[in-house]
Amino acid sequence: MSKILIVDDDADIVEAMRLVLEKRGHKVTLAADGNEGMAKARAGKPDVIILDVMMPGLDGFEVARELKRDSQTRNISILMLTAIKDKMGFDFQKEGVDPNWLPVDDYCDKPLDYELLLEKVDQLVRHKKN
Amino acid sequence: MKSISEDNTVEKKLIDRVYWLTRLRWIAILGVVATILTASRFFRVSLEVRPLYSIAVFLAIYNGLFSWLMRHLQGRQMYGVIKALANLQIFLDLTCLAFLIHFSGGVENPFYFYFIFHIIIAGILLSRRETVILATYAAILFSAIVLGEQRGFLHHYSLLGTFAVSLHENFTYVLGVSFVFVSTLYIAAYLTTSISSRLHERERSLTKANELLAEKDRIKSEYVLRVSHDLKEDLAAVHTCVEPVQKGVTGSLNEEQMNLLSRATGRSKQLIVYIDALLEITKLKLTEKMEMSSFSVVDLIREIVESIGSMAQHERRTFEVQMDPGIPSMKGVRIYIQEALLNILKNSLKYTPEGGKITLRVQSDRSWLRVQVTDTGMGIPADDLPQIFTEFYRAKNAKALLKKGTGLGLSIAKKIVEMHHGKIGIESRLGQGTSVSLEIPLDL
Repeated sequence: MSKILIVDDDADIVEAMRLVLEKRGHKVTLAADGNEGMAKARAGKPDVIILDVMMPGLDGFEVARELKRDSQTRNISILMLTAIKDKMGFDFQKEGVDPNWLPVDDYCDKPLDYELLLEKVDQLVRHKKN
Repeated sequence: MKSISEDNTVEKKLIDRVYWLTRLRWIAILGVVATILTASRFFRVSLEVRPLYSIAVFLAIYNGLFSWLMRHLQGRQMYGVIKALANLQIFLDLTCLAFLIHFSGGVENPFYFYFIFHIIIAGILLSRRETVILATYAAILFSAIVLGEQRGFLHHYSLLGTFAVSLHENFTYVLGVSFVFVSTLYIAAYLTTSISSRLHERERSLTKANELLAEKDRIKSEYVLRVSHDLKEDLAAVHTCVEPVQKGVTGSLNEEQMNLLSRATGRSKQLIVYIDALLEITKLKLTEKMEMSSFSVVDLIREIVESIGSMAQHERRTFEVQMDPGIPSMKGVRIYIQEALLNILKNSLKYTPEGGKITLRVQSDRSWLRVQVTDTGMGIPADDLPQIFTEFYRAKNAKALLKKGTGLGLSIAKKIVEMHHGKIGIESRLGQGTSVSLEIPLDL
């Protein structure tokens, strides 16, 4: 049973993800913004963090970098949720990102395909076990 | 405070008008020569033709010089220099006219009226102050000639033999004519500059109005962008919440629940497609710079063919590709060109029934890429055709066939082609098919 931390400020999407992940057998904790996310990551040591990019205050990029800098949280896999293709014209998956600038392990586009989300989470969990 | 673009238009207009003046002068020179010939040969007026022809030659020489100078300066932004040249040209014109009048009868020659044309031209090209100065110069020239000849300081080249009366010796006459003449000059100067400044004002306010409109359009587009993003976020949330329920993640559903939920997700997906298209065209409208790069047309076409090919086969339609060999790379924004072509091909797919044929023809010549997409689909009615590229416009038969459609596919394609300085055209016959052709420069 893996521990998943969702860091996203959209309450409805968070609820849908929680339901879906719990049905799959994961244990889910929630955080509504970047600071809360950092605190819960350090305290709970989840296996995977699902991180939204657009959040008030600390945005997803900053949280990801902070997580990788902190020795306590460095090994947590990060799955980033992006709708940024529209806002920035940047397709993360196709064009690839410098891992130093954006140290995440995988991406998922919004609107979410929940089956794809589950698949990616499973992949990250399996990868960690190895 | 005038904006930079305003200055450029005013400058460009001045250059154009001064250029027009040099061209006008050629006609005037021809007129002078014709008049001298006609008067001396045909009407047998007694004239000293030699000084007159010499002045005509002088006019031709300096107009040639000015024409060359104007062409040389046409590219550059030298407003002050152009204005000075305009002043100089009119100054010389007035001087030449004065000499012509002096050598052909002075006050006896009614052609002194032509001084007025120069003042009118000055009023259009130059400021009021400059025009009044030139009017004063003309007044001085004319007065010097007619009074000088009247007093005997200047030789009078009479038109005697044609006209019996020695008007030039009559002081009252000379004074009267001088008064009328000088007053005409000043009135012409005032009138022309008034009209001219009113025209310039109007030009300036039109330019400003246009700039304001462009700015408003840009603000509107940014607003559309923001609203669309917000709408998309909410729609995405709807979709994310409903889809798991629909797929049974939260428990099994009965038929009626499945039924209504399917409809709900279908509609939210459709809205997302619609908003994506709206975002696309709005972003295109706001893009000022384009990230150009060189890319292989052949590779791009190959990718497009792969994606369209399988879609076409799905409903037993033939998809044929005719690509000339040796098509070079082109410079542009690859994803945009890809999108334009895909939009056009997807239209063909949508509106071509089972068993139909879609042809993609790709050619190039020295500097252009030409692409043509022809289908044997249902075609576009003739009265819908002129508006087919308009945003959100859908032809009647398209709406009847597919209730859902953004009406933006062709608009986006057109915008993309035009951003690459290309041209797009469409031909269609109802019931027979449609052909869309694109022409894009290979390198801008």
